[in-house]
Amino acid sequence: MRLWSISLRNLRVRLVATVLTTASIVVATALYAAILVMAEQTEARYKGSIGGYQAVVGPKDASQLELVLNTIFNVGEAPGLFPLQVAIDLRAGKVSRRGQVRYAIPQARGDSVSRHGFPVVATLDEMFTAYEWHGAPLPFAAGGPFRFSWDELLQLGEELAAYENGRRAGEAQPPPRPLLRPAWRQAVVGSRVARTLELGLGSTITPVHGKMGEFGYHEHPEASCEVVGILAPTNSPLDTTIFLPLGTHLLIDGHEAGVFVVEIPPGKTPDDAKRLPVSAARIGLTAIVVDPKDHFGARILRTEFGARADAQVAWPQDVVPRFLRDIGNAADVLTVIAWLVLLVASVSITVAIYNTMNERRREIAIMRSLGARRLQILAIITGEAALLSLFGAVLGVLVCHLAALLLRATVEDMTGVHLDWLQFRPWEAWLVFGVTGVGALAGLAPAVKGSLTQVADNLAQDY
Amino acid sequence: MIRLRDVQKSYAAGTGRVVACAVSQLDIAAGEQVALVGRSGSGKTTLLHILAGILRPDHGEVEVAGARLDQLGEAACDRHRGRHIGMVYQTFNLLQPFTALENVLLGALFGRGAGHAMRDRAAALLAEVGLGDRLHHRPKQLSVGQVQRVAICRALINDPELILMDEPLGNQDRTTGEQVLDLLLRLAAAGGKTVVMVTHDPASAARMQRTVDLATLRAAP
Repeated sequence: MRLWSISLRNLRVRLVATVLTTASIVVATALYAAILVMAEQTEARYKGSIGGYQAVVGPKDASQLELVLNTIFNVGEAPGLFPLQVAIDLRAGKVSRRGQVRYAIPQARGDSVSRHGFPVVATLDEMFTAYEWHGAPLPFAAGGPFRFSWDELLQLGEELAAYENGRRAGEAQPPPRPLLRPAWRQAVVGSRVARTLELGLGSTITPVHGKMGEFGYHEHPEASCEVVGILAPTNSPLDTTIFLPLGTHLLIDGHEAGVFVVEIPPGKTPDDAKRLPVSAARIGLTAIVVDPKDHFGARILRTEFGARADAQVAWPQDVVPRFLRDIGNAADVLTVIAWLVLLVASVSITVAIYNTMNERRREIAIMRSLGARRLQILAIITGEAALLSLFGAVLGVLVCHLAALLLRATVEDMTGVHLDWLQFRPWEAWLVFGVTGVGALAGLAPAVKGSLTQVADNLAQDY
Repeated sequence: MIRLRDVQKSYAAGTGRVVACAVSQLDIAAGEQVALVGRSGSGKTTLLHILAGILRPDHGEVEVAGARLDQLGEAACDRHRGRHIGMVYQTFNLLQPFTALENVLLGALFGRGAGHAMRDRAAALLAEVGLGDRLHHRPKQLSVGQVQRVAICRALINDPELILMDEPLGNQDRTTGEQVLDLLLRLAAAGGKTVVMVTHDPASAARMQRTVDLATLRAAP
């Protein structure tokens, strides 16, 4: 027999109070653990999602956060268009004069697929060959990349520009509009897109414009694509992304007007601008994914884009942590709430045990008459509070994991954050330890009262 | 074994103090069995608590089982009580949530330690008093006589030199009481233990080797 076994027995004797008090500890601990897990997984997702996005080039008038959130995290609408000329300059080493760029992959987005609104990103096949996700090409669970190269983009751009210039000039027989080649009607989809829409290799997806059920919503059956590749899970927004060849995006019906970015010269009206000649270099992009070769290249990019009027460069490594710090403030508020809940639960421990002290005076006096020191009485009562808290904390952590198991699909659908319910983290042990300590402290006041019980007076009473 | 000199214990009552117990001199030899008698309120239980180290006298010398209790600190008194003194009460004072075996082991826990050896000893003691098949019964599941036997085992578990009893037969019928007293005195005699019993019952007092009337111990004013 040990002192803690007396504490344990006392808890069992007052089972209802024990269960109710433990429940409050469970709720507090589970809430606290859940907040930490969500904050941790969110941070991991955001930081991990930066992946190969060393730098993102976008329109000059967008905010850097807007640009990064849209390009990497599929948040919100694309903040605007900028000309393909920027990508041409980057790839030709004209922006960073010493060719300090490993890759510069143009992207255009705006459409989506299904009622889930999975975003469509139109890009080059380099997204699967040159782009590096954590140091390696994007992994495929099935199939492989579509084919649409930089050269094909430039050639298509010339054909589109010739057609558009003929149309703008009002020629009787303008050059024909380029046709959407069957070879470009291919798509690569993220893992969650495939799972949610039950897509396999050979399945067909149809891009849509607007939100299902809303005004302006329409499908683009002419751009239906066959799924040729399914990406392996990355626990990033890539899982919810659909990649199409940029050529397909440019040739979707109705995109003609917005394909080219035309600046309105001084003294001209927008209608005048619609008649101005265009070139392939004016094809509009929403982003360019760039990887400078080294730190020096990054500095050159930063300097030169600072002076450039048509585009800017955003650095996800700077923008995302700043963004997370802002989110962190919200998480801190939740953490404070969880601590308050824990504090209330601790007070409930104090009250629950304190209220039993009167009825336990005789019991304590008997133990003292058997030779128990005041410190041992203190240890027994504090032990009750500590055991109560320990049970509550362990159960709370388990409840948190159980909740993660039950809610992981919903949470992933709502936030994109993947909850790994089986992963136990070192801080969870510290949480249990901390809650137990706080609980033991909460038991200190009744323990002191109990240890001060007068032995002779209480032994003399005949209950 | 016990040596008291000029011991007094008083309590505050209103504006003055009431002397609850006063003993000018008391000596009890090791192995002696003594009955403490006296009218109600004469301070028998107070004296018992002073001998146990539960109460500290206002003044006087209290030597029990080789220790000057009046000079020991509270924790040392508690430790001394746990190791050298066994106590049996009129109201038994068993803890209801614990089984018979656990109640006996509680005595060991605060005395010489409740390891495996003590567990075996507790079971053996309970078997010796006829409760071998009641080890895991709680007090409410036992008869009055059985409960008192558990209390006796708890008092003996640390093999104490001194056993203090406060009206141990008060809650029992005469036959059961006599059986329990027989048992206790037999076990105490076998172990050469000193027994001090507070009692109102002349028949019980007559069973002891010596009877001390508390009134005769009072110091002269």
